Amino acid sequence: MASLLFYALSAIAVLCALGVVISRNPMQSVLNLLGSFVALAAIYLLSGFQFLAAAQILVYAGAIMVLFIFVVMLLNLTDREEGQSVWMGLFNGRILGSLAVFAGLAISGLIVTTGNLAAVDGAALDAAHTGGLDNMTSLAEVLFSKYMLPFEAASLLLLATLVGVMLLAKRERSTPAPGSKDRDVKA
Amino acid sequence: MNVPTEHLLILAGLLFSLGALGFLLRSNLIVVLASIELMLNAANLTFLAGARSHSTEGALNLDGPIFALFVILVAACEAALGLALVIAFYRQKQSVDIEAAAELKG
Repeated sequence: MASLLFYALSAIAVLCALGVVISRNPMQSVLNLLGSFVALAAIYLLSGFQFLAAAQILVYAGAIMVLFIFVVMLLNLTDREEGQSVWMGLFNGRILGSLAVFAGLAISGLIVTTGNLAAVDGAALDAAHTGGLDNMTSLAEVLFSKYMLPFEAASLLLLATLVGVMLLAKRERSTPAPGSKDRDVKA
Repeated sequence: MNVPTEHLLILAGLLFSLGALGFLLRSNLIVVLASIELMLNAANLTFLAGARSHSTEGALNLDGPIFALFVILVAACEAALGLALVIAFYRQKQSVDIEAAAELKG
């Protein structure tokens, strides 16, 4: 059962990835990408990586995807529909995306209601670790001891990204900054 | 899940090649960024497949999930920076086509 689910989810993930590459409309590409992320999150869950599945949904399907869709809509790139053939309808992001979301939800529901992974996973290894292969306590212990320095470097990277994004996306000033000498001349 | 590790790796390879294909063939900057995200996801899947096959009953392998966590973090940074670059590029060229950036062409 779990293996069947895995292969179905793999097919969805690959088809969605194909849809990302061949969709003409950037919006459809991004929606296909969302389907691929959700299918992968369900695969993580099936493999026993519960925390990573949650992080995948939160960061990829939540934050990154919102950023992508925001930029596509901001730049108004969605109005190009040319070059659509009939079979491309499969890749318009709606069918596959919703399929992936439903599969992910079904698996999460199964795991929550049965309480452990043993019901979903037949493998003895996974059944031995009902907390998953990455339970949060041991993950946090490793992250804050062995990987402390990379963790700090990661926070520095986030800060640098924050500053860089603000610099890059800032609108160029057409009028001089307040306090500069030639302000009164313009005004 | 009784799926062998090889199948997870094959899936990761397929996703990575599709991402690489999109990165090389498409000329829309947003699709190029999406393809990069796809490749990073495939790398993540490889880390987790490795961690899964190296975990034993007594000892979990936590290096794989930790690395996957860092990859997710780097992907978030990369998406934010890349999309800011796309917006700056669009402001200059009124286009998101990579063919529009050809000033350095001899």
